[in-house]
Amino acid sequence: MTGTRGLPNIGIPARRTSSAGSTSSFFLRSHFDWATDSPPLRRHNAWTCSDQIRGVALRFDRKEVPHYKVPTVTTDPVVLSALLAELSLRQLPCGGWAALASSSQPAIEPTCYSSLVLGSAPVGDIKRAQDFLIRTQNPNGSWPVFLGDDQEGGWVTSLAVISLFDLVPAIPARLKGLHWLMSCVGREGNWFWKWKFRTADRHVRFDPDKYGWPWFPDTVSWVVPTAFAILSLNQVRCSCGGLEHVPARIDCGIQMLLDRACPGGGWNAGNGVVYGTALEPHPDDTAIALLALSDRGQHPIVQNGVQCLERLSPTLTAPWSLSWAILALAAHRRPIAALRSSLIALPDLVSIEDTSTLALVCLALDYGHTVSALGVGQ
Amino acid sequence: MSFTRRDFLIGSAALAAGTTVTAPFLLPKYHSDQRPKRSRVAILHAQQYSQELDQILAAGLRLFPINVRGKTVVLKPNLVDYIPGNAINTHPLLVLAAAESFRRLGAKSVLIAEGPGHQRDTQLVLSQTGYQQSLLDEKIRFVDLNRDELIRTPLRASYTGMKSLWLPRTVLEADFLVSMPKIKTHHWSGVTLSMKNMFGVVPSARYGWPKNILHWKGIQQSILDLCATVPIHFVIADGIVAMEGNGPLNGSARPLGRIVLADDPVAADATCSRLMGFEPDRIVHICESARFLGNASPALIDQVGETANAPAAPFQVVSEFRFLHAF
Repeated sequence: MTGTRGLPNIGIPARRTSSAGSTSSFFLRSHFDWATDSPPLRRHNAWTCSDQIRGVALRFDRKEVPHYKVPTVTTDPVVLSALLAELSLRQLPCGGWAALASSSQPAIEPTCYSSLVLGSAPVGDIKRAQDFLIRTQNPNGSWPVFLGDDQEGGWVTSLAVISLFDLVPAIPARLKGLHWLMSCVGREGNWFWKWKFRTADRHVRFDPDKYGWPWFPDTVSWVVPTAFAILSLNQVRCSCGGLEHVPARIDCGIQMLLDRACPGGGWNAGNGVVYGTALEPHPDDTAIALLALSDRGQHPIVQNGVQCLERLSPTLTAPWSLSWAILALAAHRRPIAALRSSLIALPDLVSIEDTSTLALVCLALDYGHTVSALGVGQ
Repeated sequence: MSFTRRDFLIGSAALAAGTTVTAPFLLPKYHSDQRPKRSRVAILHAQQYSQELDQILAAGLRLFPINVRGKTVVLKPNLVDYIPGNAINTHPLLVLAAAESFRRLGAKSVLIAEGPGHQRDTQLVLSQTGYQQSLLDEKIRFVDLNRDELIRTPLRASYTGMKSLWLPRTVLEADFLVSMPKIKTHHWSGVTLSMKNMFGVVPSARYGWPKNILHWKGIQQSILDLCATVPIHFVIADGIVAMEGNGPLNGSARPLGRIVLADDPVAADATCSRLMGFEPDRIVHICESARFLGNASPALIDQVGETANAPAAPFQVVSEFRFLHAF
């Protein structure tokens, strides 16, 4: 099979047509009654889920779902139900989710966020999602970014480990994943690169002694993969079986995050100062770093980060950043009611093309459960 | 002087070893010579971002024998991040004018595709830069290349040593790819023009934010491998307000009042460099790409519209790139 321009095609099926566009106006009606307004029975990837969604939504509306004990769900049930329904519709037959609604290439990041959502909501097929995650693990213990990817592994390993937390059949897979994370070091962890960054390559201000995790092996540490790795390693409850050095590694990662903060507060990808110029923070990177640093709330850099996020958040109109901001500020016990209102008020949430963002909005609306699942803010 | 069998064997071994060591440096690192016989570049005058860009661009495109009828056109602007007041990104009005022009030329579909290199929240960048509303109003589809479906693609040059890259399906399936850079200086590569703009097609979900693997493999080398593999069919460079100094994010705005159109990315980048007051032969990826991708020499470029005169004062650069200034 040959793709365009004579390039090899690995056999990815043709793009799917997004279901979002056809359902958005339906789901966003102000008075929604699942009993009478349920969408027509639809076949999706050869399986039908409309009845299941309707049942779940009814249970949400009647507040009978025991997993939901936080007030978020009961105040915004219609929005959350619609988002969950759309998320469920996007689940692929293999159990995973694609990054975009129009895609059929299963990817790990959206699958992990969706699994965390489904972990508290009996909608979709959590078992198939978890099986997919276990099945796609690389032989070296890491996870690929998407099904069919190379097998050296990447940053999504941390997310997969978090998503499989407390799942007994996944214990061996999680352990392998944790061991891979412990062996994965940003390049500046090596003496040669440390020396290079100290002597020859000094345009980006950072301390190479403080290293975390790279997006992919053989590159330097960055804020987001380091924060996710800290969150996943924080869930290790024993220091045995080769995981004795987890606390030290977490501490090194935390020092790296503190070192890479922007001078004005907050974080971006990981370059606080380049060529003597202070760079601007990004709300999502700041929020993810703050989640990893939630037990260091008294540290001045963390407090600066929280203030920075509180300053940036009210102006946000993008659901991805807004959702991360809600989760981080909730973890740091800051008021988030206004941000949640802003998130719910965003137009056409069910039509979001990016499935990770869709799942993240669900996680933000159910922030109590999410913060708990990430092991922060307790 | 006698020449023994032993001398012969030692000499042969030394020659073989020498060949093995030097061959990689002497052999071409590209698979095929893709240079056109001649290239065409148009420099258009435009002082500001306004609705008049529609007419300016339509008139400029008529200077080229473009046939996009029935084709899928992908516009690849430079959308990196948003910092208020900084001229970082290709202006949305220019991109919309290009979309409208290609629609009028009979394109089957026109879409805009980009994978921001610094900011993970692509929708936030679209929203802050003014793209989002414009795309909705004009009903133009945007594809986030950082999260698009990926296809393993063998590289058609070997400057980085990488054999293949995972690249987005949208770009690989485009019939007509238009690189729409912002004319800027860049503190790692000297300039960021139509070829460097192709970093945006490398998916960050696979390779990280910023596209760190490309930095480790060498920025100039990565540009060459990428542009050899993903052909740029046309260039529309935004130099109405360019950037100088500590680009690509924190440089200063530099009003240049020009839009550069070209049917060859090497010719486009060489011309843009001259407009910036740089000597293109001193920019590694432009100089090297002129050996196999396109034409950098003015003798091989048909210049239409305005001439590529150097500015009275060259663009400022970080100290490491002062050697780019044409004397």
